[in-house]
Amino acid sequence: MQEYILLMVGAALVNNVILARFLGLCSFMGVTTRIDTAIGMGLATTFVITVSSMGNWGVEQYLLEPYHLGYLRTVTFILIIAGAVQFTEMTVRKVSPPLFQMLGIYLPLITTNCAVLGVALILVEGKMTFIAATLFAFASSLGYSLVMVIFAGLRERLALAEVPRLFAGPPIGFIVASLLALAFLGFSGISTT
Amino acid sequence: MPQNTPASEHPIDPFSAELVEGLARVVAVEGNRVWLEPEQTTSCGGCAASGLCGAKGIGTAANRLEMRRFQLVNEAQLVVGERVVIGVDGRALLKASGTAYALPLVIMLIAGAVAQHIAQSDGVTMAAMVTGLALGLLATRGIARWLSTRGQLAPRFLRRADAEESCKIS
Repeated sequence: MQEYILLMVGAALVNNVILARFLGLCSFMGVTTRIDTAIGMGLATTFVITVSSMGNWGVEQYLLEPYHLGYLRTVTFILIIAGAVQFTEMTVRKVSPPLFQMLGIYLPLITTNCAVLGVALILVEGKMTFIAATLFAFASSLGYSLVMVIFAGLRERLALAEVPRLFAGPPIGFIVASLLALAFLGFSGISTT
Repeated sequence: MPQNTPASEHPIDPFSAELVEGLARVVAVEGNRVWLEPEQTTSCGGCAASGLCGAKGIGTAANRLEMRRFQLVNEAQLVVGERVVIGVDGRALLKASGTAYALPLVIMLIAGAVAQHIAQSDGVTMAAMVTGLALGLLATRGIARWLSTRGQLAPRFLRRADAEESCKIS
C-alpha cells in the first residue's frame, strides 16, 4: 500500500508532467485562462490518460514485448490514444448529448497532447504491474490537472493586476510558469524511492 | 440533424452567474428555434474560417462541429450565418466534468483496487476495472439525465458577437 502511495506522490508532485517533464505545455498555456475550463480540461485529460495507459500496458505486455515489436511502440501508442479519445467522445455523446455539447470541446485537444504519449512511454520504462501502471498514469494526470488549476488561478489574478505593457499577456504568463516550476522543484527533496 | 435535447427556455441574467462564454454560428432557423454550431476552438484563430472552408469529411473539424449542434429559442430574431456569444454556468461545467469523467474513473479505480487486493492478478484486475468503467458510465448516464431535466447543462444566448470577437476556449 505504502509503495503505491509513494508511487502516486512521486508521479503527481515530484516528477510532475508539466513542471518537471515539460510535457503538455500547449494546453498548459492555452486552456488556463479560467479555473472552470482548466478543471474541465484537466478531468478530461485525466480520464484519457488513465484509460489509454491501461490499453497501452496491455498491448506492451502481451504484444510488443513478447514479439519484439518495440520499434512499433510509438505508432501503436498513438493509435491507442486516438482510439481512447474517440471512445470517450462516442461514449459521452451516447450517454448524454448535453454533456457532449458542453465538454466535447476538450476532447480533440487531448489527442495531440504530448503528455498522454509521454506518460505511456514512461510507463514502459518503469516495467510496472497493471495496477501500479494505472495508478501511476492516474497520479501523473492528477498532477497535470493540479498544475493547470493552480496556473489558471494565478492567471485569473494576473488579469486584474497592473502589468507593464512589455510583459502583458504571454510573457508574464511564462514568468509565472517558471516561478511555479521553481516552487514545484521543492518537491524533489521528497524521497519516493 | 443530431437529436439534441433542446436548451432550457428559462432566461438567465448574465451578470448573476459565473458564465463561461463561447462563440457559435447560427446554421438553421426552424420556427421559433435556431440551430447553433460552436466555433472551432483552437489557438490558431482560424475558428471563423473553419465554418466557411467547406472541408466536411469524416473526422474533420467541420464534421466534429456538426455533431455538437444544439438548439436555442430564437428570442433575439437571429438569422442564418450570424455569430453569437453563448454562455454556460461555470458551476454546471464543473458538475458536467465531474459527472462525465471523474465518476467513471473513481468507480473504475475502486473496482481495480478491490480486485487487486483480493485476487493479486493482473488479468482479474484488468477485467474488474473494465467492468467498473462500464458501471461508472451507467451511473454517469443517470446523473446526466437528472442534471439535464433540471436544465443545468443548457447553453444560453448572451449577445451577438462583434466582428473582431475571436474564438476562445470556454
